Amino acid sequence: MDLADLPSRRTEAWKWSDLRAAMSNQESVLIGTGAMPAEGPIAALAEMFGDGYGASALVVEAPGDTFESGITEGDAGQYGSVIVKAGATATMIERIGVSGSRLRPFLPAYARIEIEPGAALHRIVMQANSAPADERDAAIVLNEVVVKLGEGASFRQFVVAEGSRLTRIETSVTAAGGAVVEMNAVYLAAANRHVDLTSRVAHAAPGVHTRQLVRGVARKGGRGVFQGKFLVERAGQKTDAEMAHNALLLEEGAEVFAKPELEIYADDVACAHGNTAGQIDEDAVFYLRQRGIPDIEARAMITRAFLLEALPDWIDEAVRAEVEMRIDAWLGGTS
Amino acid sequence: MLELNNLHAHVVPEDGPSREILKGLSLAVPAGEVHAIMGPNGSGKSTLSYVLTGKHGYDVTGGSATFDGTDLLSLEPEVRAAKGLFLSFQYPLEIAGVPVMTFVRAAMNAQRKARGEPEVSAPEFLKLSKLAATKLRIDSDMLKRPLNVGFSGGEKKRLEIYQMLMLQPRFMILDETDSGLDIDALKVVAEGVNALRGAGRGMLVITHYQRLLDYIKPDRVHILSAGRIVKSGGPDLALELEKSGYDQFLKVD
Repeated sequence: MDLADLPSRRTEAWKWSDLRAAMSNQESVLIGTGAMPAEGPIAALAEMFGDGYGASALVVEAPGDTFESGITEGDAGQYGSVIVKAGATATMIERIGVSGSRLRPFLPAYARIEIEPGAALHRIVMQANSAPADERDAAIVLNEVVVKLGEGASFRQFVVAEGSRLTRIETSVTAAGGAVVEMNAVYLAAANRHVDLTSRVAHAAPGVHTRQLVRGVARKGGRGVFQGKFLVERAGQKTDAEMAHNALLLEEGAEVFAKPELEIYADDVACAHGNTAGQIDEDAVFYLRQRGIPDIEARAMITRAFLLEALPDWIDEAVRAEVEMRIDAWLGGTS
Repeated sequence: MLELNNLHAHVVPEDGPSREILKGLSLAVPAGEVHAIMGPNGSGKSTLSYVLTGKHGYDVTGGSATFDGTDLLSLEPEVRAAKGLFLSFQYPLEIAGVPVMTFVRAAMNAQRKARGEPEVSAPEFLKLSKLAATKLRIDSDMLKRPLNVGFSGGEKKRLEIYQMLMLQPRFMILDETDSGLDIDALKVVAEGVNALRGAGRGMLVITHYQRLLDYIKPDRVHILSAGRIVKSGGPDLALELEKSGYDQFLKVD
């Protein structure tokens, strides 16, 4: 596998996130053999570059386990597979950190997650970028999980991502009967940052309940990408699925690309999707300013509330505080 | 307290040409007085309230507006607010995700900060809020909900007056505060407004109908037509209008 095998903007699933172009200055490290595996480019790159990829499997048997993992520069290790045994519950927190542009960090991670019948997994992904907002960092963050949900199992995910030269966080879910899927996210695309949240939920059996709310903001020179697909197979009767993506373009020159997709083969389903990208309501800003709140704070207050609506209520207080702090820092630091 | 002198203003829509709405409006509201502005649709009532509070999309092309002798028109909206100018909106905005009390406290502290005053303490704020809510018969649960989201027209108007009681402005502009209120709600709201009448405060009550003025008694009544005050008088003027309509005053030019 070499550079030419990586997806580019001519590849439909990657059309807004040109991995080949982003990786072109890393060609020297791309030495591989064989063709692209069926799992796709993130799996292939994680196998090649993720230290210890696939070496460790995590098995959760007891209820209430919480485990944290992180990938940072120089340490791209990640669990290759996670199994949550029937009846068990677990919370998984992943922190992905980027702190500067000199290292050219390359952080691919790929994992298979199996949630057995009746089991529950909460997954939180926090991708931060503490490099100065105006700096053109070179970090490439690729993170993909493929989730298999058993009957009556639940998978609840929350992602907050600040992007990098190219960040793609991808989630693919296949849900069995009566499963519950929730995949909310917040993205914050400052100047020179690219954040791509791509997801796919296959409703393969009856009665799956899916909710997805993604809220994002972008500033001048920042780019947000949302690709969400709900597939309802013929067997997926009584699927109840809602997808919403709403973005605020905070400045002229901000970019958001969105592709919400419903593909439905069953006839008795309730599926809805909504997608908006617009500017902050100036009348609302004026209302706050008329009450004495300065312009910058008024905008931050409205934007913050807009983003926090995507924060699920199952997130515990410490993590919630961390997410809020991150959002506040982003809004304060770049407004 | 508030003095407008030969004020000219255009509305500047995002699409389309600007139009002159205020065409030489002069008005003086001394401290301690309540003045009513009445006028037909399109006479410039709302434009006046937005120009005074500094909303975007309006261009002042002539004349002056001063508040306690300070040029109002050069100030940012939040600075005008901190100086004590308050607008009760005709259509209050819905602010998703921001609870009423969080918002009002932020506004209160922002104003205090701008004036160099200390922040309001949590117990003090709660006490003030309880008093205001009781006076306006506002359910305390409503104050925990996002600002105006899903509120009825009447609830929104009541909440405007709640904010007014909390922020204790020195000059209030009430833009069609009576619209959307039934008679009982109107009395409650008027009571709240009247509680803020006083020696150091001024008020401009903008309304279409005389009804509100039965409960908020004005010292002076002005008739606005085509961007200008065409007649001023005592409270009787409002009654006269109610009886015989605007037409008699609109044929001035």
